[in-house]
Amino acid sequence: MAAAAAAAAAEEEIAVKEPLDLIRLSLDERIYVKLRSDRELRGKLHAYDQHLNMILGDVEEIVTTVEIDDETYEEIVRTTKRTIPFLFVRGDGVILVSPPLRTA
Amino acid sequence: MSTGGGADKSGGGGGGAVKTPSDFLKSIRGRPVVVKLNSGVDYRGILACLDGYMNIAMEQTEEYVNGQLKNKYGDAFIRGNNVLYISTSKRTLTDDA
Repeated sequence: MAAAAAAAAAEEEIAVKEPLDLIRLSLDERIYVKLRSDRELRGKLHAYDQHLNMILGDVEEIVTTVEIDDETYEEIVRTTKRTIPFLFVRGDGVILVSPPLRTA
Repeated sequence: MSTGGGADKSGGGGGGAVKTPSDFLKSIRGRPVVVKLNSGVDYRGILACLDGYMNIAMEQTEEYVNGQLKNKYGDAFIRGNNVLYISTSKRTLTDDA
């Protein structure tokens, strides 16, 4: 049991020798992508390149905007969601990519 | 006894002297780090690895915006162009300065 866990840990360590390996291991899985301009995506990763251009499928896009109420001057945080069946993401807008959390 | 100059002792501990930024980056692999982005957001976690573009893979990553914890990611990939600095978090950082 401990040996199996150690082997799995060693395997993961070998598998992630450079950061892009993390992306490679996420192929065909749903991932979370944080983009510039307060955009977030969740979708299935079909393909990617070294620029982090990505092709995602079954995508949910979340855009967060902050509006100021004219009367109370309160900040109102609003999120807009839309679904996109198939999406090409240009890499230079990518901030963060996260594979699915196993515990989540 | 270490007589390293300058305020930054991160990664300088132990026998070998750290000579270049690349040596520093190699030495902090596997350690808890703070990554600050150009946008001011902090990511704290274990540094798994990085590459020549300063792309970063982290584990047990926490996202702090204005000092407040906003998100947690089991693993996270950060694209290198966003990175302002990487710091080992041996001591508590004060962003108040």
